[in-house]
Amino acid sequence: MTRTLTRRAALATGGAVLGAFTLGRSQAFAQSSRTLKIGFISPISGPLAGFGQTDGYVLDQARAALADGVTINGTAYSVDLLDRDTQSDPSRAGQLARDLINNDAVDLMIAVSTPETINPVSDACEAAGVPCISTVMPWEAWYFGRGAVPGEESPFNYTFHFGFGVDEFYQAYISQWDLIETNKTVGVMYPNDADGNAIRAVLVPKLVEAGYEVVDPGAYETGTTDFSSQIATFRAAGIEIFNTFPIPPDFAAFWRQAAQQGLHRQVKIAQLAKTGLFPADIEALGGLGNNMASACYWHRDFPYTSPTTGLTGAALCDGYEATTGNQWTQQLGASLSAIDVAMAALSAAGDPKDRDSVAAALPTLRADSIGGIVDFTAGPVKNVAHGPIIGTQWQAAEEGDHQFDYVVTENATDPNVPITGELQAYNA
Amino acid sequence: MMGLVISAALLGGYYAILATGLAFMYSVMNIINLAHGALIVLAAYGLYVLGTQGIALPVGIVVMSVAMFAFGMLLHKTVLSRASGGGELLPLLATFGIAIILDNLMFQTFGADNLSLAPFVGDLSWASFELPGDIFVGQLSVYILVAALIIIALIETLMRRTDLGRRIQATSQDRATASLLGINTGRTAAIATGIALATGVFAATAMGLRSAWGPYSGSAQLLFAFEAVVIGGIGSMWRVLIGAMILAFAQSIGAAIHPQGFLIGGHLTFLIVVFYRLPTWRNAIAKFRQARVQA
Repeated sequence: MTRTLTRRAALATGGAVLGAFTLGRSQAFAQSSRTLKIGFISPISGPLAGFGQTDGYVLDQARAALADGVTINGTAYSVDLLDRDTQSDPSRAGQLARDLINNDAVDLMIAVSTPETINPVSDACEAAGVPCISTVMPWEAWYFGRGAVPGEESPFNYTFHFGFGVDEFYQAYISQWDLIETNKTVGVMYPNDADGNAIRAVLVPKLVEAGYEVVDPGAYETGTTDFSSQIATFRAAGIEIFNTFPIPPDFAAFWRQAAQQGLHRQVKIAQLAKTGLFPADIEALGGLGNNMASACYWHRDFPYTSPTTGLTGAALCDGYEATTGNQWTQQLGASLSAIDVAMAALSAAGDPKDRDSVAAALPTLRADSIGGIVDFTAGPVKNVAHGPIIGTQWQAAEEGDHQFDYVVTENATDPNVPITGELQAYNA
Repeated sequence: MMGLVISAALLGGYYAILATGLAFMYSVMNIINLAHGALIVLAAYGLYVLGTQGIALPVGIVVMSVAMFAFGMLLHKTVLSRASGGGELLPLLATFGIAIILDNLMFQTFGADNLSLAPFVGDLSWASFELPGDIFVGQLSVYILVAALIIIALIETLMRRTDLGRRIQATSQDRATASLLGINTGRTAAIATGIALATGVFAATAMGLRSAWGPYSGSAQLLFAFEAVVIGGIGSMWRVLIGAMILAFAQSIGAAIHPQGFLIGGHLTFLIVVFYRLPTWRNAIAKFRQARVQA
């Protein structure tokens, strides 16, 4: 094939070359190929904002640590963290993910907190072939909720999730509830939503198997304002352990009505999930908040260091409290651990700019994080790595600025986490 | 059974206090205030802030009532009076917009935390009276019901026995004629808005003591208030109480049948009432009756 050099072609080529030089090599080239772009999607505003309120601080820490870039396989990259707020809206979450993929050409996506955030982002990433790392929701709702079938091979190639599942809740609860002598009668209040139904289907049979009598008045709708019939059932059954997965306003209404009926004097362990993750939920309960049992996916006493930022759990939380004046929350470490795992995944890939290469590295990834080792080789399914659920209790603080201390009372799912206090009976 | 009836009646009192401001605004100004829930939440934040400053809740309620009254007048002068000149849809959209703005402003100002007023009143939020037959009745719920009765009685007295009330009624019935008779209709409507918002402070107190709220809790409050108003119908404020009671009993009966039936019971009742109120349905029912009589 012969090529004739026309004057027009020569001018065009020359112009393009000149243009490229004028823009500057550092900008034109480094921007497109030497920058690793990481999308970070979380609920900063809207009803789920409790989860996202610490993300700004976490991102500041990560950006400061990554300001000088990273070197992977001998190549230096700058790192750009593009954070987006879902406003707690699932359809907006998917939209943001597609926008980051198509318009910002992110190399990797991070999605944090709740099925409403993670599932739509994961779906968008799976469809577009962009690797996605997520944490903070039960993995069953992520994996099966998006169409995977038990017993069959994982249908996902680009999306990966790490963190707790129902089994971790089970282990933590069994371990926690053995700490106090009870009649082993558990009253449960699970709402009719994704979390509540998954917990009812999987956790309740396991509790029954472990010798607990479970009193379940049935699913209730979120937004219910009167719980008289459930409370009557619990009183009649003589429950001494109570477990629930409500949103905070529902729980505040429920527990006050329960206390009006005297239920709080009979319950020895009030085990909360979803509500009670953050200190404000407990403070809102006033005097009824003391000695509420909880379970956390991260705690400042976790004995791990973030490879990305070099921060320990205590350093991260102290820094947050000093900067914002607010009490630390477990979301600090969870969000940072997602960034730790993301950086580890990019480092493990042959070429971090190649989406397939990153996705191929993830199933064998064993990453250090501020939440401990995240090991995708030892997960329950190919795309999932286990994470702990540690039993805790909100105990009235004896000193310091905050009303309640979040005390670790058991560590069945991660024995490296130090137990810092004894579980107190709620009605004591 | 007795316990169920009592708790349903007390729940009705709570819905009545939620719905009063909404019903008042609709009956005197024909404005369906979609910002009603957000304004209740705003008042609750005000009470919370005053509470953290060490101001006792009853004092806080008085302060906030005055503040919300003033805010209501301002809201009327700046937004509602202009919007209500533009047909029926415009005030609806305007208040919807106010609700969104308030939701997000409150989020910006107060953050995402769930707050409650209960810590300011010691044990009151879970204290109870013990009745014979092992029935416990929450003290707070009783006080809320009493407050609802007092507020409705006060508004009724105001509307029927005072000069201001007659002015408000005249303004709501025929603005042009009222102004011909020398009534300052703009000012009267602004005062009515202020009263509606001031009653919202009591709703905020009830909500804040009963449960907890966040910046986006307004729409849930609006829903129950709206259902109570529609079920009760307009005319007298006592109909709000009736509507609230019907809603509460429908929900409690729903919950007694099935735990998930609580909200459905309320919504179903609401729908039945709405369908019954539709003229076409009423005509159909009347025709059906006629046909049966003839047959």
